[in-house]
Amino acid sequence: MIDILLMILTGIGVAFFGFVLQTSIAGVNRKVVARVQKRYGPKWYQEFLDIFKLLSKRSVTHGWIFDFGVIMALGVIIGTAMFMPLTSSFMAFDGYDNFFIFVYLIAVGMLGMAMSASGSGNPLASIGVMRALTTMLAYEVPFMIVVLTIIKLTGTSSLSEIGLFQQVAGNSWFLIALPIGGIVAVMALMGMLGKKPFETYIAPAEIASGPMVEYGGKQLGMLFIMHEITVFIEVSLFVHLFLGGAENIVLFIVKYFVVYTILNIISSVYGRFKIDQVVLFFYKWPLIMAITQAFIAIYLGWVI
Amino acid sequence: MTVEFLILVALASGILAYFVGRLNKVLGAVVTIVASMFIFIMIGYMMQDINAGTTFNYNAVEYMPDFVTFMVTYLGLFFAILVTFIFAMVSFFNPFFVEKYKYPALYSMLYLFSLAGVLGVFLTDNFMVLFFFFEFIVWSGLFLIPLGKNNKAAISYYAFSTAGSFALLYAIFIMFAETGSYNLHLGLATVSGTTEGTYVLALLAFAAFAKLGAFPLNVWLPRALGKAPDPITAVFSGGLEKLGAFVAVLALVKLAPVGDIAGTLGGLTEATFLFASQYIVATLGAMTIIFGTLMAIRQDDAKKLLAYSSMSNGGYILVALSLGGTLGLSGGLYHIVAHALASAAAFLAIGAVSRVTGTTKMSELGGMIHKMPVTYMVYLIAIISMAGIPPMGGFISKWLIFQAVIDNGLILIAVAVFFGSIGSFLYVFRPLAALFLGQELPQHRDKAKEAPFFMLLPMLILSGLIVFTGVMPNIFLDFINDVIAELGGTGLLLGDYTITGVNGVLQPTLIASVFGVGVLIAFIIFILLKKSKKVGLMDTYTAGNFIYTEELMHYSLDFYAPLERLYEKHINITKDFYKKLENKVVDFGRMVKYFFFTNKPEITVFWIIILIGFLLWGEL
Amino acid sequence: MLSTKFSPMSKEEVDRKWWEIGDFFRRNSLWMLMYCTGCCAIELPPAMTSAYDMERLGMGPMATPRQADVLLVTGYLSLKTLRRLIYTYEQMSEPKYIVGFGSCTINGGIYHDSHAVINQLNKYVPVDVFVAGCMPNTEAVMNGFVDLMDLIKNKKANGWKDYHERYDWYLANQKAALGEVRVHDEFHE
Repeated sequence: MIDILLMILTGIGVAFFGFVLQTSIAGVNRKVVARVQKRYGPKWYQEFLDIFKLLSKRSVTHGWIFDFGVIMALGVIIGTAMFMPLTSSFMAFDGYDNFFIFVYLIAVGMLGMAMSASGSGNPLASIGVMRALTTMLAYEVPFMIVVLTIIKLTGTSSLSEIGLFQQVAGNSWFLIALPIGGIVAVMALMGMLGKKPFETYIAPAEIASGPMVEYGGKQLGMLFIMHEITVFIEVSLFVHLFLGGAENIVLFIVKYFVVYTILNIISSVYGRFKIDQVVLFFYKWPLIMAITQAFIAIYLGWVI
Repeated sequence: MTVEFLILVALASGILAYFVGRLNKVLGAVVTIVASMFIFIMIGYMMQDINAGTTFNYNAVEYMPDFVTFMVTYLGLFFAILVTFIFAMVSFFNPFFVEKYKYPALYSMLYLFSLAGVLGVFLTDNFMVLFFFFEFIVWSGLFLIPLGKNNKAAISYYAFSTAGSFALLYAIFIMFAETGSYNLHLGLATVSGTTEGTYVLALLAFAAFAKLGAFPLNVWLPRALGKAPDPITAVFSGGLEKLGAFVAVLALVKLAPVGDIAGTLGGLTEATFLFASQYIVATLGAMTIIFGTLMAIRQDDAKKLLAYSSMSNGGYILVALSLGGTLGLSGGLYHIVAHALASAAAFLAIGAVSRVTGTTKMSELGGMIHKMPVTYMVYLIAIISMAGIPPMGGFISKWLIFQAVIDNGLILIAVAVFFGSIGSFLYVFRPLAALFLGQELPQHRDKAKEAPFFMLLPMLILSGLIVFTGVMPNIFLDFINDVIAELGGTGLLLGDYTITGVNGVLQPTLIASVFGVGVLIAFIIFILLKKSKKVGLMDTYTAGNFIYTEELMHYSLDFYAPLERLYEKHINITKDFYKKLENKVVDFGRMVKYFFFTNKPEITVFWIIILIGFLLWGEL
Repeated sequence: MLSTKFSPMSKEEVDRKWWEIGDFFRRNSLWMLMYCTGCCAIELPPAMTSAYDMERLGMGPMATPRQADVLLVTGYLSLKTLRRLIYTYEQMSEPKYIVGFGSCTINGGIYHDSHAVINQLNKYVPVDVFVAGCMPNTEAVMNGFVDLMDLIKNKKANGWKDYHERYDWYLANQKAALGEVRVHDEFHE
């Protein structure tokens, strides 16, 4: 019993760590993007200020489903983050860091947010949800095919074991071992994080920030926390799957920072796709590349 | 308690329900509740002392021994208990719906007759009995569907079901010719691996496809399910469709796969070890998934949407069963359970809405959650399971199926499987957003109220089970392991709380509890912060415009318009094919009519000459 | 010598402490909703982009009133837009602030004698900071924002409270100018 309690406490610690890490790195990245645009940029802890300010405001609610969806979204994402291994040996629930849990639990968070947004009764929110789900349909399939290749090659779907597999001498990172798949994964990750050119579902100038249109105050603050933890999960997935996991926590933070910053820099020079362009984009090259990579790696056995 | 007794009970209570229903419509429907609950409990009781291979002989016809036999197997019991449970749950809806239909007494009778048919199909080892009850269900369905006031749907259903039944019959004949007996297990065992086995496999697969509504025999499913009475829809999707899965198990698992190993294509080194027949069925299953998903996304009628989702889930079952192996089999069988529960609950929730509003069109509905919160929660739990998200039952089966697909290295089928899985978020969310959430439309605001207790009860039981199948799946997987053992495979490796797959261990209970911890933390954060101000649904951001019309603020029509635009030109492929086929049949009929049944003298003379020539052929 | 005895704070004191902490966050993270009706709006792009970069103050544009903290009224307001402004202001979550740009919001500016334009914005909604000028230059705009932050720090940015307390007065002014604040939906009814 004490064991389980301790594990759950560790899990909550992991989730909290993820939140703090991602929020700080997001703040730093706002500075990085500002420098790309020849600006000075905000303080590195600006994201914390934003979130706590939102939590301190008096918000409005559109009924119980509006609140319930937010609680469900944040709660499930916290739960998901609790499973995330930080290094290849440190995680709260040893042996249960199954890849599919992350992919599907994130979907519950999305569902909670979508439910709450639709419950606000604003049509722009529903349009935003529609776009978010459509984008998800676009990026998820190529990404899953690449991950299928990795799972087939390593014979395990546990993130930490995939990480360890890459650390064994003679195996290179899957970003290098599966170069075509690696490119697909980077593109899919940009879609997952909603970075430009795939931020169609936020589109502040077009549909007034989409699903978030009716949120203010604590609900928006909780969704911000949820978003930060979601980003933490998604980027960590990439680190574990493609960048060889991490031997220790410092390496994890370094890899995490590099991935997130590069994505942000790429994103800062792009415009925005229309939603049907997003779908067409992902179902054209990334999907073909992912399938090619899977054929090459699984059937021909060509892995660098 | 014997099987034939239960069947007789079902038939007798069906007739009773008819006569009671003639006196009082609702009372006739109550008979269906009592009878189906009784049968479900009896079947559940049978599970207690099941002894695999127990045969109950019932020699009705003296001169042909073993002509009518019943046998309780793990496989049959697995299906029987599931489908009778769905029947029992849905029957609670009958009293509330029966008055809407033209022949309420007939409805109650046929409901119980199909239940009798279900028992007969699943709990027999005799092909003739199986075929008889198979046809019996088709026949009851033929009269049940048009009670929803659409004959065309029933005709479509009948055409495809009959085609499936004929395929089944031919398969039975082939096996009878081989063995001289109608014994199911003997017949399948004898033809397995022979040339005849190939035909039997193809014919049985055809029957399964027709019953599951799989591609390319999918046309009847959305029509029939979209138009049938609401409780019947739930029964069809949750129960009767599973007949197809049962036949698929017979065809794909009990018969040895046919053909070369497909994986050696082009001498690739590490290839899949699937046989051609397995690969073909899996590919058709994959196409079912994609087709069902894409069509479900663009439906406006919630029932039709769920019908297409049933089709897509049928595709998952086919893919899983055709892959075989421990993971494939247990994934497929578990998916049958998960989908039966989820789709029954979803259809019942939609039925409850349609009862108070009189429509299932999403563009005419909105904001039902404010009047029907419990129905909404039932639907939410059902769709979470349908989309395969933890902690519901659908996740477990999808996890197993994914592993089976990945383990076999089937890339193209994996594309379909993943696409269907993500696509299911899209289509299941649509009724949620358009029908339950969004603006509360004025035309339903006064009429709508929460469903009565006896409608909520089955929905809540189903929801509870959906959660339970996701949190504690091992109880069900234990039973499935018995089924697999009976079919000659090895079951899953189960711990106290864990399931071990090929490439990972899953602990559903842990996921559910962590889920709970997370939601608790979020709830604490929420409750500690300042209380929000309640505003109305119309007080939303409109860029400063004053809008007072709810319809304008409700986004429900053409929900996924940008996505639909990408494929809307190609949606009618199967429909066009069957239309063309229909025209060809009509043309052929005309030709036959022209040549044989005409009163034009020249044609008659022509035939007489031909006939005389034919008769004199030997003489000259 | 300081007493080590624990003295419980009264509820007001606790609330005040929390409010001060909240004020720190609020003034360092002002999210704007720009109501760009007049010419002063042209001063916002240089303020936001690399020339003056208001993001270093923690400010940024937001899409909807629900998310925003500060409403920027950039210039003259015709009667039709005033209705929309009041509606938008009432949708914002509290605490909320208003910054009025240019002389038009102070005394009508060059449109002071127009029949279609209001002259004094703070008769209709509470304005916390005015930025004078026609148009104010970007330094003045930035200065106005810093002033607003100081006001929040000194607990003087209380326009939103004033709107609650003297709502009758504001409503009377609004009615006098507009007749009816919430009009019918002229496009759809």
